[in-house]
Amino acid sequence: MSELHFLSPDRARSEDLFAPRFASPLARVLAGTTSVLDLSQLGKIEVRGDVDAIDVEAEVVRITPRRALVLCPYEQCAELRARLPGLVIDMTGALAGLELEGEQAMRRLTDLDLEGLPAAGKVAEVPALVLRDGSRFRIFFPQEFAHYVGEVVLDVLEGIE
Amino acid sequence: MRLPEQLNERIDRSRPVRFFFAGRVVEGFEGDTIGSALFASGQRVFSRSFKYHRRRGLLCCSGGCPNCMMRVDGVPNVRVCTEPVREGAHVHAQNVLGSLEHDLLAAVDHFGGPFTPVGFYYRTMIRPRSLWPLYERFLRNVAGLGRLDKHAGRTRRFDTEHRRTEVLVIGGGRSGREAARSAAAAGRQVVLVDERGAPADGAFEVLAPARAIGIYEGGLVPVDAGNVLYRFRAERIVVATGALEQPLLFPGNDLVGVHLPGAVRRLVDEWSIKPGERAVIVSADERGLAVADKLERAGTSVVERIDLRSAPPRQLAARGSRGRLRSVVVDGREIECDLLVMSGGRQPAYSLLAQAGARVEYDAERGIFVPSDLPSNVEAVGSAAGEQEPAAVPAATFEGAEGAGRCFVCVCEDVTEKDVKRAIAEGFDSIELGKRYTTVTMGPCQGRLCHVPSIRLFARENETDEKAIGTTTARPPWAPVSLGLLAGRGHEPTKRTSIHHRHEEAGATMMWTGFWRRAHSYEHAANEALNVHRGVGVIDVSTLGKLLVQGPDAARFLELLYPNRFGDMKVGRIRYGVLGTDAGRIMDDGTIARLGEDQYYVTTTSTGADTVIEWFEWWNAVWGLDVETVNLTGALAAVNVAGPRSRELLGRLAQIDTSNEGISYLDAKETYVAGVPCLILRIGFVGELGYELHFASPYGEYLWDALLEYGADLGIRPFGLEPQRILRLEKMHILVGQDTDSESNVLEAGMPWIAKLDKEDFVGKWALEHVQERGFREQLVGFEMTDGVVPAEGGQIVLGGRPAGRVTSSRLSPQLGRAIGMAWVRPELAHEGAEIDIKVNGGFARACVRLKPFFDPEGERLRS
Repeated sequence: MSELHFLSPDRARSEDLFAPRFASPLARVLAGTTSVLDLSQLGKIEVRGDVDAIDVEAEVVRITPRRALVLCPYEQCAELRARLPGLVIDMTGALAGLELEGEQAMRRLTDLDLEGLPAAGKVAEVPALVLRDGSRFRIFFPQEFAHYVGEVVLDVLEGIE
Repeated sequence: MRLPEQLNERIDRSRPVRFFFAGRVVEGFEGDTIGSALFASGQRVFSRSFKYHRRRGLLCCSGGCPNCMMRVDGVPNVRVCTEPVREGAHVHAQNVLGSLEHDLLAAVDHFGGPFTPVGFYYRTMIRPRSLWPLYERFLRNVAGLGRLDKHAGRTRRFDTEHRRTEVLVIGGGRSGREAARSAAAAGRQVVLVDERGAPADGAFEVLAPARAIGIYEGGLVPVDAGNVLYRFRAERIVVATGALEQPLLFPGNDLVGVHLPGAVRRLVDEWSIKPGERAVIVSADERGLAVADKLERAGTSVVERIDLRSAPPRQLAARGSRGRLRSVVVDGREIECDLLVMSGGRQPAYSLLAQAGARVEYDAERGIFVPSDLPSNVEAVGSAAGEQEPAAVPAATFEGAEGAGRCFVCVCEDVTEKDVKRAIAEGFDSIELGKRYTTVTMGPCQGRLCHVPSIRLFARENETDEKAIGTTTARPPWAPVSLGLLAGRGHEPTKRTSIHHRHEEAGATMMWTGFWRRAHSYEHAANEALNVHRGVGVIDVSTLGKLLVQGPDAARFLELLYPNRFGDMKVGRIRYGVLGTDAGRIMDDGTIARLGEDQYYVTTTSTGADTVIEWFEWWNAVWGLDVETVNLTGALAAVNVAGPRSRELLGRLAQIDTSNEGISYLDAKETYVAGVPCLILRIGFVGELGYELHFASPYGEYLWDALLEYGADLGIRPFGLEPQRILRLEKMHILVGQDTDSESNVLEAGMPWIAKLDKEDFVGKWALEHVQERGFREQLVGFEMTDGVVPAEGGQIVLGGRPAGRVTSSRLSPQLGRAIGMAWVRPELAHEGAEIDIKVNGGFARACVRLKPFFDPEGERLRS
């Protein structure tokens, strides 16, 4: 069975002539912005199976009764992958993420019930996972939509200012 | 022109506001609307009517009727009676040729009458048919509403905002506010929306001016707040939209100077304006008569009050000159006046309730339509629910008098009593048909003023009652709404690969494939294709769908899904697979690599990825096998390094033996490439020695740069989708969706080796067995043009003057110097060398059928 090393960005290694460079899909669109934080390099590990058996020091977001997303600092990915139960898939590269402030901006981005977060639904018309911490929101979504979502988020913030 | 300061006036006389109208400066005050400021400045004619270009004045003065629509700062159809004044605004009349006072198109009113009855263009402008575009343009130019500037871009920003609340109250009148207050007192979260600008209230949120434009399923209420469309989801909706003042139908009822009571009330109370000198009031209810006090306070003498409840006249007609009211004739008596206040009672504004699913029934005693049987989440309060003081039921129309002109049923669309009678005489006697034929209720007021009167007229003309006529269907939007607001921001979900920006930086021509942006080519597609044949090229194939299928039943799962076999594959090997539907039709194709005993890595086409992933999950749920499917499409970037020198390049970067023995054709191996962990698939879609590298997306740009840097001396160049299409065609590799359609199956598509009909079962097996039994109806083949001309894709193949197939792909191959293609042909033509004729530019071009790949038919270069 392959351990799917090719899925995990943190397994890249600098050696001799090569120094792999991790690039966030939001890097270009968020360049020069301070109102939105880029969370793309956060470790994101999907667990399938018995999510109740997850016992790690990290943020665990349950998506379904047998599916969860574990969020952790990038440096902890390797350790967590080894300790998590069930089918463990490194989604660090798959999901882009951003953090922004303000309920009104979120209301213009999604029809999700902001009182019922975390929840999965559409943000800027693309599938996303939304987490809330007071008036701050974290949004995770497929990285291929990142540039587009970044543009929409900045546009929405501009419309509110 | 203003009255002395009034007690509750809305204007702030210390703050003047100036704007431009018809070349002059008009001054109003803060709190004025453009309409009230114009009225105060002496303007009485506000528009020319839709069809006859008759002068029209402020009929309702509350944003309901079409009479005050003007172009304000380039935006057409703005109802100036409710549009607040703003400094420096440019206000223009619309639908006039000349000015409001001298509109050349008014000729239609003087001469066109007999020639332009209801629906005339359906009868008189149908022949010759070819001239319809001219007729249409003519009609559009002489009739209608405002014009959009075709060259204008977005001038305003429109946003959409999703809101949730426990209770949404629509309407800020007395009943609405009471309902909001009591709900708030009960601890509910309440939002009240009001189109008139209700004041704030400490107990609940007030959104004003804002207008609910409909009630949809699931308690969705879109609210137009000017620049923002709020999409409210409310647990409970309280409709307090009030009632609509109804006009009376009598000849001359559209003259300037004829008003509904609300117009007079607002002019006097809110803006301190004297509406006229001599007034006549004709009213079916107390509210109408009550404006007499206001008028007298404003200094207007009320010369006649006619109470339709006690003494309804037989004859009622208005006479005027130059479109303005001069006198009213009542039962033979002519009364001079310049103001006529008419009130036909008030109709509950039930449209939103009807949209929500309420029943609407006629109450014959009160002469109004009343909502009933409300859905459980919707409540009606106040006048909207039918609560109102008693009123007389007015006659459908009144008898006219000489010189009184037309009797209008619908002022929006200029539909007269005569038009309705004529429509009924022509057989359009049901209200739904009559509505469509005459367009009554279909104008900007959406039936606010003409719905009940037209039903009453239909009832009288059909010698029945209003209950039997019934109402028309209420549909959103309840009020006009700008398309810009409905459209919201112009964002289009777009997928970009993690290497996307490198393609743009390299000057690639980008194209859409599904949601994806892909590089069509960088410079010249043919050269990019040749470079792959002669040196080495690299293409971004991150858009490929990628799936992990893992679990004890993984092999069985794939064997059930695909017509091929996968259980017998060795770990580390790759097989081409074609996915079929239940009916055996080709759905998608791709490669399947076995990474472990119970672990497969599946790729799909770029545009088919989402469908395939859903398909996998669906069947996984149906069969309940012990297998997991994980979508890795975005997680991984992928590039295909192809060409005779690709091995040399990979050798410089990868940590494995890249010789043919180290990694042979259809091998899958994991290794580091330039420090990045990769899955290498040795496959050859483009027909040359090639390696597909799959690796974590964040390293897309890095690895792309590394390949170009380390391959520079080998002549590496990126190639786009178009050169890839040329290259794959040379190999006769199909493109699902291009060479196949929803009817194609693997047997007829020339891939019988895919279908293992001896397997116990797989999706679509029965259908392929059926195809086998019935024999082929058409076959997918290659063809080569004899004279080099490239036929159009989709071009017809003809045999003996009859259709015998169609071209699916065609290109000029720079490598072969020939025009080649693929086509579906009748089975008798599906043999090597068969001659076919393809329709090209109206003539025919000869081609030869080929069954083997045009380039490297034995696949020696692939395996090299």
